[in-house]
Amino acid sequence: MSRSYDRALTVFSPDGHLFQVEYALEAVKKGTCAVGVRGADVVVLGVEKKSILQLQDPRTVRKVVMLDDHICFAFAGLTADGRVLIDKARVECQSHRLTVEDPVTVEYITRHIAGIQQRYTQSGGVRPFGISTLIVGFDPYDTKPRLYQTEPSGIYSAWKANAIGRSSKTVREFLEKNHRDDLTREEAIKLTVKSLLEVVQTGAKNIEISVMESYGKITHLDLTQIEAIVAEIEREKEAEAERKRSRLAATAAGQAAMTQRAGDAGPSQ
Amino acid sequence: METSFALTGKGYVIIASDTTAARSIVKMKIDEDKVKALGPHLLMAHSGEPGDTLQFAEYVERNIRLYNIRHNYSLSPSAAASWVRRSLAESLRSRHPYSVNLLLGGYDVPAKEPHLYWIDYLGTMSEVPFGAHGYGSYFALSLLDRYHNPDASLEEGIATLKRCIDEVAKRLIVSPSKYTVKVVDKDGVREIEV
Amino acid sequence: MNTFASRFSSTSAGAELSKAKAIAMEDDDFSDASWGSEAGYGSLAKGVPTFSIPSVADPTAFLRLHTDDSSDPNCRIKIQHGTTTLAFRFKGGVIVAVDSRATAGSYVASGTVKKVIEINPYLLGTMAGGAADCQYWETYLGIHCRLHELRNRERISVSAASKYLSNLVYGYKGMGLSMGTMICGWDKTGPAIFYVDSDGTRLKGDLFSVGSGSTFAYGVLDQGYHWDLSDEEAQELGRRSIYAAGHRDAFSGNTCNLYHVKEDGWKFIGNYDVSKMHYEGPGDVPGSAGVAYGYDIRVEGRSSADS
Repeated sequence: MSRSYDRALTVFSPDGHLFQVEYALEAVKKGTCAVGVRGADVVVLGVEKKSILQLQDPRTVRKVVMLDDHICFAFAGLTADGRVLIDKARVECQSHRLTVEDPVTVEYITRHIAGIQQRYTQSGGVRPFGISTLIVGFDPYDTKPRLYQTEPSGIYSAWKANAIGRSSKTVREFLEKNHRDDLTREEAIKLTVKSLLEVVQTGAKNIEISVMESYGKITHLDLTQIEAIVAEIEREKEAEAERKRSRLAATAAGQAAMTQRAGDAGPSQ
Repeated sequence: METSFALTGKGYVIIASDTTAARSIVKMKIDEDKVKALGPHLLMAHSGEPGDTLQFAEYVERNIRLYNIRHNYSLSPSAAASWVRRSLAESLRSRHPYSVNLLLGGYDVPAKEPHLYWIDYLGTMSEVPFGAHGYGSYFALSLLDRYHNPDASLEEGIATLKRCIDEVAKRLIVSPSKYTVKVVDKDGVREIEV
Repeated sequence: MNTFASRFSSTSAGAELSKAKAIAMEDDDFSDASWGSEAGYGSLAKGVPTFSIPSVADPTAFLRLHTDDSSDPNCRIKIQHGTTTLAFRFKGGVIVAVDSRATAGSYVASGTVKKVIEINPYLLGTMAGGAADCQYWETYLGIHCRLHELRNRERISVSAASKYLSNLVYGYKGMGLSMGTMICGWDKTGPAIFYVDSDGTRLKGDLFSVGSGSTFAYGVLDQGYHWDLSDEEAQELGRRSIYAAGHRDAFSGNTCNLYHVKEDGWKFIGNYDVSKMHYEGPGDVPGSAGVAYGYDIRVEGRSSADS
C-alpha cells in the first residue's frame, strides 16, 4: 500500500513527503551544472555544456536563453521540460508588457515561473517539472543586478551566487568561499568559470558564459574568450602550486637544515 | 479626420499618419503616435475605431516580439502581414470584431526588398506600391497614381509624401495639422521630420 | 433618430404582452389592435394587457430626451454627460479640478457631487459620463492597485493602473458603459495623467479636459497653461477653468473641487462656489488675485466707446 505514495499522483506520503517532487530534484541533480554570480553591477550566468556529437548542430542545443530583452534564464534538469517552461515564461513577459506597459521585473517572472512549477505539484494527471532554474537580469529603471533560483517544488529565492545541477553542492561551497559583493565584471566572470571548472573537467569547450551588464545589455562570451579565461585560471593555479611547491621545498629544506644542524651538533656534544 | 499614407521607393517604405486623437469635436491629443515599430524592420500605421486601434496594434506588437524571442529571428514583412490579416479576419466573425485599418510596411532584409501591405478591417490585404486610409485617401491615391515612382530616392519619396500632405491640407475640411513620418529601410526604422 | 423609442415600445410591448398573458391566461384572444387604444389605461381593466409610457404630452420626445439612443442603442437610460473635469501636468505635479453638478436631462439632480475619486493616496480618478460606472470601476481599480502593491512590493505606476482600467472597460465595449476619466498620479516616472474612456481609448498627455463643459474649460486652460507654472498659479488656473465651464455650460457648475498631486501623494486644496467665484472671486486663497472672475465684474467701469 505505501508503495503507491511514489506513483503518478503527487500526494503526501504519511511522513509528509511529496515523492514525485523529490524525484524531480533528483532529475535536477543529474542535469548539467549552471552557475549564477552577482557582481557589483553585473550578473554572470555560466553553464556546463554537454559535449555535442560530431554530426550535431550546436546551435540547436541551448541552455541559456533570453526570456525578454532584460531577463536571462538557465536551467538544470530535463531539457524538454525546460523548453516548455521557457515558452510559458516568454509568453508571460510579453503579456505583462501588454497589460502593464512595463517589462517584467526579475522577481515577477521568477515568481511566475515558480508558480507554474508549484501548480504542477498540486494537480492531477501531471508530473512536476524536472528542472531547477537560475534567472538573472535587471529590473526596469534599476541598476541592481538580480539573481533568482526556482526549484521543482515551486520554491524561489534570491541569491548573491548559486549553482544548480550536477555537483551543485561542491560549486556552491566554492562560491561561498570565494564570492564577494563588490566583484567587478572580470572578477565575476572569472569566479563563474572557476567555479564551473570545479565540476567541468573538460575545460573551456564545455562552458558557456553570458554576462549581463545593465538593463538589456547582454553578451555571450565566445569560445576563445572563455579559453583565455580558463588559461589564465590554469596559470594562476600553476603559479599557486609552484609557490606552494617552493614554499614546501623551502620549509623542507629548512627542516632538513635544522635536522642537519641538530645532527651536526649531536656528535660534537 | 484620421488619415494615413504610405509609399515605397528604392529600398525603403515611408509611412505617415496624422497625430490627432479626437473625441467628437475636441482634439484630445495632438501628438499621438499612430505608427508602431513592430520590429527592427517593420512598421505599422493603425487607424479606425478608437480603443480597437491601439488594442489591436499592441496585440500585434507583442505577438511579433514573442515570435522574435522564440525563434531568434524576425518575421518577414509578408509573413507578418499575413498573420495580421488573419488575426483581423478571425476577429471579423467574433462577437466583437476589431475595426482597424492598417498600413504595414517592412524591409525584407534577406531579399533586400521593401514591402508595403494595405489591410482593412474586413481582413482584405493587398500588396501595394503605395496606399492610404481615411479621408486623405480620396485625394492621395490619384495623386500617387500620378506621381509615385517605384525607384525614387528617399528624398524624392519624401517629396511625394509632402505632396499628399499638402493636398490634404488644402482640400480636406478639418485636415490634420501634424503627421508622424517613419521610414524603414535596410538600416532599420527611424522617424523623420517633414 | 427615433429608432430607440419605437424599438423600446415594440420590445417592451412584447415583454409586457407575455407577462400579461402569464397573469391572465384566460384572456389570450385579443387582437393587436387593442394595444394602441388601451395603451396607458389598460391596467385599469382587469386582464387587459398594457405597457407603461411616460404620462406626458409627447412620450416619444420625452423618451428621446431621457435615453441615449445615438451613442448606444442598448442603453436605456440617459447617463449624465453634463460635467466638466480637467487635469494637467506641470513642473509642480498634477492639478485636478472638477465641477460638482449632476444632471439628468435638464434636471439638476445634485450640486454637491464628488467627481474626483480618490483611488489611493497617490492616485486620483475623475468622473465624467455615468457616475455609477466611474464610481464602481474606479473603486474596483483601487482594489487592484492595492493587490498590485501587495504582490509586487511597490506602488503601481499610473501607466499600469490606467491600462488596467482601459483593458477592463474595453472588455465591456458596446455594452453600455459610459466613462470619460483621467487617471492622475505620481510614480517613479514623476507626475502622469492618462485619459481613459469607455471606448477603450487611453491617451497619455499633459493636459486633458472631459465632459460637456470641456470646450469652455479648454478655452481658459490652454491659454493659461505652460509647464513652469508655480503651484499657486496652477491651482488658480484649474479653478478658473472650471469656473469658466460652470458659467458657460448649463450642465456644469455649482462648485469646483480642486486637488493637487505631488511626490508625496494628492492633497485636497479646496471647494469653491462657482457663483461666488463669479461675483467675488475664490476668496483669500493662494494664487488668487482676489478679484471676481465674472466678465461684467472684471470689466466694470471700462468702455469701448470713443470718448
